[in-house]
Amino acid sequence: MLNTWLISWRNITTNRKRFFFTLFAIMLGVSFVTAMLVSERTTDQVFDYYEQMYVANADYWILSDEHTYPEEMLTTLQENPDVNEQLLVLDKQTFLSVEGDQSLSQRSVRITGVSDQRSPLLELPVIDGSLDNEGIVLPEAAADLLGKEVGDTIVFSGLGEAKISAIVEYTQILASPGDWERAESMGFRVMMPLNTLREWTGIEDEISYMRFQTEGEGIELFQSLQNEFQDSSVYIQPVVADDLQSNDIGGLYTFFYLIAGLSMFISGFIVFNMIYTSVIERKKEFAIMKSLGYVQSAVSGFILIEVALLALIGTVFGVPFGVLLGDVFMKALLGVFEFDMVYTLDWKIPVLISVFIGLLFPVLFSLFPIYHAGKTSILLALKGEQRETASKYLVWRSSVGAVLLALGFIDHAAAYFTIVIGIILLFPLLLMGISTVLKPVLTALFHHPGTLAAKYLTQQLNRNANTAAILAVGIAVIMMLGAVVQSAPAGYDEEIRSTYGGDVRVTFEAPWTEEDRNTILQYDIISAAEPITEATPITWETRKGVSRQFSVISVSENGPELFEAEGDEYAKLSEGPTVVLGSRAFEEWGGEIGQTIEMNSPMGKRDFEVADVVATSHYSGYVAFMDESHLQRHFGWSNSFDLLLTVTDGEAGALREQLWSDFGDNLSKVQTVEEEIQSVVSAITGMNELLMVMLILVIGLASIGTGNTLLMNTLERTKEIGTMRAVGFTKSQVRKMILAEGLMIGLAGIVGGVTCGVLLIYIMSQSVIMGGFLSFQFPVSHVVLSIVAGITLSLLAAWVSSESATKMELQSSLREG
Amino acid sequence: MIHLEKIEKEFLQGQEKTSVLKGVDLEIKKGEFVAVMGPSGSGKSTLLQLLGGLDVPTEGKIEIDGSPLHQMKEKERTVFRRKNIGFVFQNYQLLPTLTVEENIAFPLHAEGKITSEKSRRVQELINSVGLKDVSNKRINLLSGGQQQRVAIARALIQNPAVLLADEPTGNLDREKAEEILALLSTFHAKHKQTIIMVTHDIFAAGFADRIILFKNGRIDQIISRKDDNYAQYLAHFMA
Repeated sequence: MLNTWLISWRNITTNRKRFFFTLFAIMLGVSFVTAMLVSERTTDQVFDYYEQMYVANADYWILSDEHTYPEEMLTTLQENPDVNEQLLVLDKQTFLSVEGDQSLSQRSVRITGVSDQRSPLLELPVIDGSLDNEGIVLPEAAADLLGKEVGDTIVFSGLGEAKISAIVEYTQILASPGDWERAESMGFRVMMPLNTLREWTGIEDEISYMRFQTEGEGIELFQSLQNEFQDSSVYIQPVVADDLQSNDIGGLYTFFYLIAGLSMFISGFIVFNMIYTSVIERKKEFAIMKSLGYVQSAVSGFILIEVALLALIGTVFGVPFGVLLGDVFMKALLGVFEFDMVYTLDWKIPVLISVFIGLLFPVLFSLFPIYHAGKTSILLALKGEQRETASKYLVWRSSVGAVLLALGFIDHAAAYFTIVIGIILLFPLLLMGISTVLKPVLTALFHHPGTLAAKYLTQQLNRNANTAAILAVGIAVIMMLGAVVQSAPAGYDEEIRSTYGGDVRVTFEAPWTEEDRNTILQYDIISAAEPITEATPITWETRKGVSRQFSVISVSENGPELFEAEGDEYAKLSEGPTVVLGSRAFEEWGGEIGQTIEMNSPMGKRDFEVADVVATSHYSGYVAFMDESHLQRHFGWSNSFDLLLTVTDGEAGALREQLWSDFGDNLSKVQTVEEEIQSVVSAITGMNELLMVMLILVIGLASIGTGNTLLMNTLERTKEIGTMRAVGFTKSQVRKMILAEGLMIGLAGIVGGVTCGVLLIYIMSQSVIMGGFLSFQFPVSHVVLSIVAGITLSLLAAWVSSESATKMELQSSLREG
Repeated sequence: MIHLEKIEKEFLQGQEKTSVLKGVDLEIKKGEFVAVMGPSGSGKSTLLQLLGGLDVPTEGKIEIDGSPLHQMKEKERTVFRRKNIGFVFQNYQLLPTLTVEENIAFPLHAEGKITSEKSRRVQELINSVGLKDVSNKRINLLSGGQQQRVAIARALIQNPAVLLADEPTGNLDREKAEEILALLSTFHAKHKQTIIMVTHDIFAAGFADRIILFKNGRIDQIISRKDDNYAQYLAHFMA
């Protein structure tokens, strides 16, 4: 009895080099998909983990729009039997006493005094020491920077000194700088027992906020407390795990999926090329099978099993490698964003999805050759004849390509796909053009092997065109991503400058007083000091009923410009209790302009009409704006913890030192607009480097396709190459011929890819639906890298194929005829 | 001019060595037309491949015009072949994507740039093999006889000292075979190349000065046109 799987295995391994090339392509495709899925899940899980760690098991918190409020306001709550756990917190800003000449801003530190370091409402992953409610808890990054260990003493200027009792992993509540440069704009955060802090500061009966956990959902208690606190500076908010205000990683996921999709597409194309060639080569075999009684589906079934075997092996090796690759990618990614986070790879679900994709996509890409095998005509195949359809096919392919390319100029999301598919279909024409143009150059470079290479390139026109198209698609998509990443800094720079509202933002832990403001206005270089009122955290619900939180910032037409006003936004805001949402908040909310958004304001639950959506740099658009008078009336909020300073002239560094010197007791942060831009741009620059690595990997994957195609071309020409050698071609001339073919495929891929990339970037920059998301530009570095990597890797792939050609035994290659 | 001394050739078939040529000694004079005959597997084609430098002997010496082919490296053999040896194969071995003219000129291209003198020679050869009208056509449009004419012209383009022909008429009918053999004889008479032709066809062998009969990897018999009983032998074979 025939063992179909064994026969299929023999068939796919008949040509070992081609088998390994194809397998390697599937493996890499599956690996990239796995790596991207693992990265996406892990990134999501990491941010979720740290957000959950921050909120811990707390259900509600009670805050104030003052720096502190009397603890006695909570007396009844503390005695309420529905409250299971509670944590009292007092924040105090001061300076560290360190050896060396660090500036005040670099030494600034926020001490968080907590009533119980071991409370379930706090999650502090201890690395060293213990949470003994006596000493200081220090995050690892700060301990490393300060060179401190458990048991060492930390001195706080003017307050006191205490020993370190525990060093903990990164956690949002204790996020601290990892180097002195970052310390310039980011203060240290440490934790200590509340009692000690109270003793040091003399703030005996006050707290900054309280967190508590209730028995059950505690909705009644929440509502009664909302009512109780209505006319005070104190307010209650549910604790919501929402990190969208501090992280804008949504774009990253798009990046992950694009890379995964691209690698799968390239890999699938390689499989298609290989299976299709194999089917064409074996037409006679299929004809014999059919003449012996095999039906169409049985013949197709044979090929399907071969593809399934390839897919299975590729998946078995590709998935574990992908998990490893995902780990490397995560390290690089967190390095780019300077997160001192630890992560555990979330691989289980991605592995399941990857196995499914890995088994499916090679089969999907092979459907046409599988069908084609079954449709083999017995008579034509046995006679060795082929229907003369090549020229008709070329006309059909090119015409469809031209139409699709033209459709690309319609402003629609689908246009990007039609451009890519159109260019792929037009590749045979491009290849013919390149072969004609380069023929004299190649002849000059390689002599007759060059001339022959130009001739042979068009002999297997479709296959070579498809191979070059694979490379082109990779280059085009990466170029587009590169243009997005490169244009982003300019876009962010413009957006931040136009919506920052000033040159320097100064954050206080207590509300700014008019006296403070006047003091600052006395500085020579300050021309304006505008307070901004920010109600935070304000919890709200999306249209789907998911709880979220953000800040609501007050604005006025004459105040600092905090968003890009394009029309009558200020008029709409002043008309009634309405809000305008930043773009990310609007997207997350999921409603439409004119509908209402439900918020837990300090005055209780309120519905506000969403008057508009605006572009703003504040919290990357995850924010709401409200007219200042309405904010005061409906939120009962009047204090400002931030001042936006406009600097006429002079050094920001000098201003910073003066501010820390004058307001050091309460100052928590000084950030210039340049620093804000820098923090955004440096992450994007890191992303760009990551993209470059991805570009090389994608070109490498495409070059496997080039190698595979050239190998197929070489094997088909065994007899011809044998003849060439017999009549005087040396091995090196045969090698040159194949290298020239590889070079032309690489160049065609580069030319087509760059053209397609430029077209995509242009269309994207002109698109109304993209709303000016991208300005037209030529990503020079990506193009240069594409050219260098494309040529090098294509030549490398051609070299591997030429090895086979030069190692052919002359007598047996001549006999093949 | 061609000197073969104790030529041995072994091939590996699986794990076993098969001896194809077993101590062949042979001298072929310059300008001689030699036919090599023998049953399948007797070693005649292997002998041709060794003479053409497509392969090297396991043991023994091959010298052509004093050049030790057996000692040459692969590249040296290729260059030697290009300049001194022309090949005509049974199945023509032409390059299907090239035209008649391009196929004939191929060995010249392999050497480098084509001079006007060489171009002239290509045209002369095209004319002399009677393919002027089809010189720009692709090979697949030609008949078997025409293809073999192209192969002969290609083999002669470098004016080689030695022409090796492996069953040149094997794929042709009698009429076409006679035409090809007549063409070879004409060129031989005109240019005095040494021709070594492997054939199964005694009629073709009749064109040669000497017939070398191979059997089990060894020379079994050599019949020369000068031999008194040549005609008798030939008649015996033909019968």
